[in-house]
This record gives sequence, structure tokens and C-alpha cells, in this order.
Amino acid sequence: MSEPIVRLRGVRKTFWRDREPVPVLDGLDLDVPEGSFEALMGPSGSGKTTLLNLIAGLDRPTEGSIEVAGQPIHQLPEGALARWRSETIGFVFQSYNLLPVLTAQQNVELPLLLRRLPRAERRKRAETALRIVGLEDRTQHFPRQLSGGQEQRVTIARAIVNDPKILVADEPTGNLDKGSTKDVLDLLARLNKELGKTILMVTHDPHAAERATIIRKLDKGQLA
Amino acid sequence: MIPLSYNVRSLVERRATTAAAVLGIALVVFVLSASLMLVAGVEKTLGGSGEPDRAIVLRKGSDNELSSGIEIGSVPIIAAAPGVRSGEGGGLVVGEIVVVAAMEKLGGAGMSNVLIRGVAESVFRFRPEVRFTRGRAPRPGTDEAAIGARIAGRFRGLEMDRTFELRKNRSATVVGIFEAGGSSFESEVWVDVETIRQAFRREGMVSSARVRLESPAAFEAFEEAVEQDKRLGLEAMREIAYFEKQSEGTATFIRVLGSGISFFFALGAVLGAMITMYAAVAHRQREIGTLRALGFPRGSILLSFLVESALVAVAGGALGSLGALGLGAVRFSMMNFDTWSEVVFSFTPTPQTLATALGVSIAMGLAGGFLPALQAARLRPVQAMRE
Ligand SMILES: Nc1ncnc2c1ncn2[C@@H]1O[C@H](COP(=O)(O)OP(=O)(O)OP(=O)(O)O)[C@@H](O)[C@H]1O
Ligand SMILES: [Mg+2]
Repeated sequence: MSEPIVRLRGVRKTFWRDREPVPVLDGLDLDVPEGSFEALMGPSGSGKTTLLNLIAGLDRPTEGSIEVAGQPIHQLPEGALARWRSETIGFVFQSYNLLPVLTAQQNVELPLLLRRLPRAERRKRAETALRIVGLEDRTQHFPRQLSGGQEQRVTIARAIVNDPKILVADEPTGNLDKGSTKDVLDLLARLNKELGKTILMVTHDPHAAERATIIRKLDKGQLA
Repeated sequence: MIPLSYNVRSLVERRATTAAAVLGIALVVFVLSASLMLVAGVEKTLGGSGEPDRAIVLRKGSDNELSSGIEIGSVPIIAAAPGVRSGEGGGLVVGEIVVVAAMEKLGGAGMSNVLIRGVAESVFRFRPEVRFTRGRAPRPGTDEAAIGARIAGRFRGLEMDRTFELRKNRSATVVGIFEAGGSSFESEVWVDVETIRQAFRREGMVSSARVRLESPAAFEAFEEAVEQDKRLGLEAMREIAYFEKQSEGTATFIRVLGSGISFFFALGAVLGAMITMYAAVAHRQREIGTLRALGFPRGSILLSFLVESALVAVAGGALGSLGALGLGAVRFSMMNFDTWSEVVFSFTPTPQTLATALGVSIAMGLAGGFLPALQAARLRPVQAMRE
């Protein structure tokens, strides 16, 4: 088997609330093979979002090492970590997190603004990403003019526009109805199969989890 | 960089609070511009009243014509000094008497002093820039008066063909209205010098003597000759320098008052901009967190919010400047502290007043936006997106 794209060793994460330690992750080891589609399940408050944030470089472990796409990110300084995120990770959020004042096209172009790309090239790539998610006819719509399912597809377009190796999705279908849920899951499965994206998806929905190639369960700070 | 359209549209989205912040800054810029324009107007009116080839002679130690008095016998001596251009019958010189008269302002604004200048007939040759827009020059030896265009209609009786009191039981009739290139002469009343001499009992005296010089460079020699004779007790000044000195007190007063008021208004406007921007940051936490997650560095967030606040400021600055430009047509009558008489000024916009207004508005925007922008830049993405 090839090198894992995500490798966690002895990862501990403790939050502090009112001077009291709140241990969430308790010496976690994890290997995610490249190109897998993983579903992460577990009770509410078990630390799924926390784990995903650590892998995505949004937060730092209290202890332990995290290596993602060959980069030990637990020791990267703030600025370098931000650049690394923009190159390596695509984010899909439960509540989409599109900027409401920008059009679908402009939202998708956002990650490209961090690179030196000519305007026309940015436009082309954003259009391609929107075509992949099936929204080529909604490019000039603002988020509030789209349905929830469409908004989430715009978010996915934004997540893939920089061609990152890994997509992290925290309950991507949590706010969607059945039909839209299926569309989004189909889309993620396609991105995994056809474009080879490694996908880490947190979900509460067992049907959603079934679409993944690996299902992991997080409980009491440990992976089962 | 985060696109400018993001800031513009976010501002439009929250148009009510944006408008409030814009208006706050506009008000400051309006007050500041108005006072700067007035200072420019004062400097143009008073400072612009002199000519480089003219000199004024006063009694030594007097800093204006009103407090000066020189013996009429000195006038021919002054005219004969080196450097004075010669006209018919000797050097080009005018000896004038300057007094003030309290007159009633129209529009119920009370009494105020008007500067009255006793002039010889030769004054119109001496000052070719004086142009009659109506009527004619007063005839020597009569109670006729010519009035400057800027005070015409501002005081009771200071209108064409009307009479007014020079002093108690001594009236004069307006026979002409003149312009003088926007200078302070346009706020004066001119009457024959002998009429004034009698009415105000200035026998044997004039307030000042003015001469035309052969060239601006001839002044040094003229000054030396006039001031040399200590018995005469005279002091010569270039006319330009004299009027510049006249405008100093008033210009400084307006400048201090204007910048004082602007400063306190500015504190309010900066606070307003700050509150607006703090609200914007609080309102857009999730967006900020998302941008940070996507990889935008702290600097981009800081810059974006600074730019946004500068946009508010520039909009306010433009609005305030436009309002102030609207004052261009307004004539403003005010006491000149150096002569204690009314002078009518205009608000005069210059490139400097506009540049200052814009600069100050941007500075206010940056000052108000800095702390909120810093707060935005310091947000941790995970926390910000939880909100
Ligand atoms: N910034 C924080 N400060 C303090 N405690 C935190 C913080 N973030 C998370 N926690 C705590 O850590 C635990 C795990 O939170 P996390 O959001 O990872 O859970 P989750 O598994 O994603 O839950 P859910 O399914 O409800 O989304 C919770 O008890 C939460 O209250
Ligand atoms: Mg969660």
C-alpha cells in the first residue's frame, strides 16, 4: 500500500473552558490512504469537527504529530499554514459559508485570488468547476437566489477550483433535503472516483456514510 | 487580495449604517472645507488687494490705515522720493483718509462698521483696476459716494441712488457701484477726501499715502528715503505686504476656529466609523472565518477592512466637499479684526482645500477602521465560523 496521505500520531486535543481542561481527542493515531472516501461518525460532541479541523490545518493539536500530503503541519507557522491550506485542502461546510454579496462565479474564484493568475484564466477555471458541479447556468446568481442543494454545489465548486488533493466536508448534507443530499453525495463520490480526490466526510446520516469507502467511528476520544 | 467589490457590496448591503458613517464624515469635511475655503477667500480678498508696484506710507508704528495719521505736508515729500513713478504734475501719489462709520446691517443683523475712504479724483487713475458696474465716480467737493460691489445692498442706504449717514446730520448719496478685482476695496465706501476731512475733522492730515513705483524693485530705495527723515516719522511698506498683514489676524482666527470645530467633530465621526466597522466585523465573522479557512492571510483581512472603512471615508469626503463647493456662491460678511470693519468674503475653493479635505477624510476612515480591522484579522477561523 502507498504512503498514507494523512498520518496522525498520538494526537491529543484539549480545550480549556473556565480553567477546566476539556479533553476531546486522546492520543489518536490515524492513517488515511490516498484516494479514499472516508466517513467519520460518532455521537455529538465526540470531537469529529475537532479532528477534521486538525487535519485541515485550521487548528493545532495540543500534542502529537499531523502529517498531511507529506507536510508535517503541526509545526507550520500561521502564514505558511494558511498558504498550505489554500493549496492542499478544499472545504465543504454544513452551512455552505458562501459570501452572500458575491455571485456564484465570484465565490468560486475566491481561492484563485491567492495565486498569480490572469483574470481570464481565473474565470475559465471557475467556470470549469461550476460545470463539474452542474451549475454552469447559475454563475451570475447570488447565494440567496439558489436552493440549499445548489449553494452546497457552489461550495463544492469553490473547494475543488484550486485542485486540492483533499476535500474535508463537515456534515455536508446536514441542512439538505433527500433529493439534494443524493445530488451532493453523488457529486462527492464522482470527485473521489473520477478526479481521485481524497475525501474526509463527517456525517450523522448512516445512508450518507454508506457512500464512503471507509467508515470510522469516533467515541470517547478514540477511533474505533 | 480580497476583491473590492466584496467591500462595496457589503457596504451597500448595510446601507443604513453605512450612510450614517458617511454622513458623519461628510459633516466634518464640510466644516473643515468651509473654513479652509473661507481662509482662502480672506487671503484672496485681503492678500489679493495689493499690487507689486505700489507702496503705502503710514505713520511709524501704525499697523493699519485707520490708526495712522500723517501730515498733509509730507505727501509732496513722499511723492518726490526716489523710485516714485512720475505722473502729470509730479509723482504718482494719493493721500487718503480712512475712517469707519457704524451702519445698520440689512436683515436685522444689527450695526456694524463700514470702512469709509476719502479719495481724491486721481484715485481712479492710480487704481486702474477699479471699474464702475453702475453709475459713476463721485465728484470732488460733493456729498456723493461710490460703494464697493460687495457691500452694495448689505447696509441700509448702501444702494444705488440712496442716501446714508456718514455721521450724524451728514448724509451722502450713492452715485456709483464699483468692482476692484475681488479685493477688500469692494467692501468700502469712497467719498471725496475733502468732504471726509470736513465731516470727520481731519484738517491737515491724511491717513496714508500710496505711491506708484517705477518698478517693484524700486521699493528699497523709496523705503530708505522715506524712513530716513526721522522728523517725518514715516514707515513705508509694499502694498502687498501691507494687505497680507491685514489678513493675518482674520485668517488665523478662522483657521483656528475652523480646525478646532473640525477636530471635535472629527472625534465623533471617527468614533462613528469605528462603531460601524466593529458592527460590520461582528456581523461578518463567519465570512471572515471562511476567508481565513480558504487561505487568505491575516494581512488580507486587515487590508480589506481598512479599505472598506476608507471607502466610507472617501464617500463622506466627496459628499462634504461637494456641499462645501456649494458655498462658492455664498458671500460671507465678517469683521476684519485688523480694521474693525466689515469685509465681505467669499468661500474660495482651491486645489489645496480639496486635497486637504480628501486627505483628512481618508485619515479619519483609517483611524476609525484600524482597530476593527485588526480585530477582524485576529479572529481565529475555527471560532469565527462557529458563530
Ligand atoms: N473552542 C472550543 N473551546 C472549548 N471547547 C470546545 C471548543 N471546540 C470544541 N469544544 C468542545 O469539544 C468537544 C468536541 O466538539 P466537536 O465540535 O469537535 O464535536 P462534534 O463531534 O463535531 O459534534 P457535532 O456532531 O455536534 O458537530 C465538545 O464537547 C465541544 O464542546
Ligand atoms: Mg461537528
